[in-house]
Amino acid sequence: MSRKAPGEIRARRSFYWRYVLEPYFYLAPAILLIAGVMVVPLVIGISYSFQSVRLLRPGGGFVGLENYLDLWSDRKFWIALENTFVWTIGSISFQFLLGLGLALLLNTRFHGKRLIQSLVFLPWAVPTFLSALAWAWLFNPTIGPLPHWLTAMGILGEPQNILGDPELAIWGPIVANIWFGIPFFAITLLAALQSIPAELYEAAEIDGASPWQRFTKITLPFLAPMIAITVMLRTIWIANFADLIFVMTGGGPANSTQILSTYIFTTAFKKLDFGYASAIAVALLILLLIYAAILLVLRRRLVKI
Amino acid sequence: MARMDLRNIAKRYGPVEVMRNIDLAIEDGEFIVLVGPSGCGKSTLLRMIAGLEPISEGEFLIDGQRMNEVAPRDRDIAMVFQSYALYPHMDVARNMGFSMEIRGADAGEKQSKVAEAARTLGLTALTKRLPKALSGGQRQRVAMGRAIVRDPKAFLFDEPLSNLDAALRVEMRLEIARLHQRLKATMVYVTHDQVEALTLADRIVVLDSGNIQQVGTPLELYERPANRFVAQFIGSPTMNVLDVTPAEGGITLRNGTTIGFSPAVPAAIPAVAQLGIRPEHLDIADPDGASMVGVADVVEHLGSDTNIYVQVEGIGPLMLRQHGHLPLRPNERIGLTIPADRMHLFDAEGIALR
Ligand SMILES: Nc1ncnc2c1ncn2[C@@H]1O[C@H](COP(=O)(O)OP(=O)(O)O)[C@@H](O)[C@H]1O
Ligand SMILES: [Mg+2]
Repeated sequence: MSRKAPGEIRARRSFYWRYVLEPYFYLAPAILLIAGVMVVPLVIGISYSFQSVRLLRPGGGFVGLENYLDLWSDRKFWIALENTFVWTIGSISFQFLLGLGLALLLNTRFHGKRLIQSLVFLPWAVPTFLSALAWAWLFNPTIGPLPHWLTAMGILGEPQNILGDPELAIWGPIVANIWFGIPFFAITLLAALQSIPAELYEAAEIDGASPWQRFTKITLPFLAPMIAITVMLRTIWIANFADLIFVMTGGGPANSTQILSTYIFTTAFKKLDFGYASAIAVALLILLLIYAAILLVLRRRLVKI
Repeated sequence: MARMDLRNIAKRYGPVEVMRNIDLAIEDGEFIVLVGPSGCGKSTLLRMIAGLEPISEGEFLIDGQRMNEVAPRDRDIAMVFQSYALYPHMDVARNMGFSMEIRGADAGEKQSKVAEAARTLGLTALTKRLPKALSGGQRQRVAMGRAIVRDPKAFLFDEPLSNLDAALRVEMRLEIARLHQRLKATMVYVTHDQVEALTLADRIVVLDSGNIQQVGTPLELYERPANRFVAQFIGSPTMNVLDVTPAEGGITLRNGTTIGFSPAVPAAIPAVAQLGIRPEHLDIADPDGASMVGVADVVEHLGSDTNIYVQVEGIGPLMLRQHGHLPLRPNERIGLTIPADRMHLFDAEGIALR
């Protein structure tokens, strides 16, 4: 019986139409919008990295991998890459640990909790530019107290200009960034903490768990999803965050605080070499994608809730 | 195995006193049920025993040792929560073995204990599952397994069956009864369901608005309730209560009938008093010469029993339960008599007169 049943072809066609094609029809507006605002600029940006786009020397055109080869042998790029690691890891780890500590404190009951909770937001209310200036002044040995305090505590030999010392300069913006980033972790982790049912702590307490065991065996597993997502987002954000460094040190002295994002910025807007800036940006993008992929895999392995 | 003593315990939240004068001695291996309406303080009392809630006043002792200041983890008591409080990120086996994991117990010992508990509770096939992949009844079992593995001095249960459907509730009730017979451990069980209380308890503690109303065996509470609250709370359907006045050698109902006492006469019956009579103790009689006459307005046929709602002339609605099937039609006129030895008398404050 090779005769097709009447209507079978029509039925198949309508199957494809209904289940394979039709959904995209409904999704089309969203897809077009996303393509318009995200994919198109991204593709154009990446395409710059294969061209010579120098405003001072017009008429470059397609140059293939030349920008990337330059990048490979660019000492400043490797310094900036290393600084990016120090900057990002230094900032995120302290932001996270101090933010977690603050969240745990805020999750207890005490007098004036409301007031403190809203004060914690304060660093966010201040424009980045202002806080960068304020921190630059705090670190200034002539008008700021920090170098003197550090000397008094025996951490510094003498009240020198930290931001002017190539060995130490990067810690200036990092400290400012830690101060700036703690509220984010404190608030998000506090929200996660408050969603843990109190009965679990009671059950664990009756089961004999010490406060530390309750923290590691109940609190941390519950916070894990939130930790994974916030650490990932903040890492990407910090790696791209140039404002503080730009205002406090401008990448100096001697490129000791130059991170990839400030390097991109100066290359694009001071040297006006957009092609090369794009190549650096693509390198940073790839690194961050790898990082995000690793974190997502880890998250799936570790998070059970 | 433990004996527990609650001595004159009170509980305050700020200025609000929610419990007072709690005096109770729980014998070693006894199954005590705390029962009372919602909000009467059952959970609060249980949580004070567990150490989760500080005791505002009085003394709590386990085996003669004062426990007021002892942390929950040092009391060696297991608790099954109403919501089960299973650790959602741990599988069934780890949930049950958590107390041993905490103690740093030997892995092999832990495994065998968990396996044994899982076997007695019929959870062996589920040990690798997370709580979210379990049904309500299975979660309940895991919560019990977690307590059993502990091998504690005493078990506390806070309304452990109230989230289960009726059939499962009966099944788990039996299981808890078996558990108690097997372990012979001291158990304190909270419920608002009098059937659970009557079926499980060695002794029942009836609580109302933070006070102990009566402590006694199920039969004592049923037959000799200390006051009207206990009389109406224990027993189903609820006891009928009628206003009465004292009479020569007996009492007079509101419809004018006088009922004599035989043989015992309470010392003195106050001018304002109430008569309690359980629906199952009312007798049907010929309307001529019965102490009460009424019309059966609703008849419920339950098969084993028949519930009859009677509008009694001069008195009001009464409920009556008769064993077996009663071929009564709605709106039929019937007479009722009250057996003198089944009457409960209460004074104006609701205290039983004996
Ligand atoms: N944390 C609290 N603060 C104030 N009042 C409370 C608190 N917990 C319970 N109560 C009060 O204590 C009384 C007893 O509560 P509870 O023991 O939970 O009753 P139940 O018998 O239903 O378990 C209730 O009136 C309740 O409102
Ligand atoms: Mg309760």
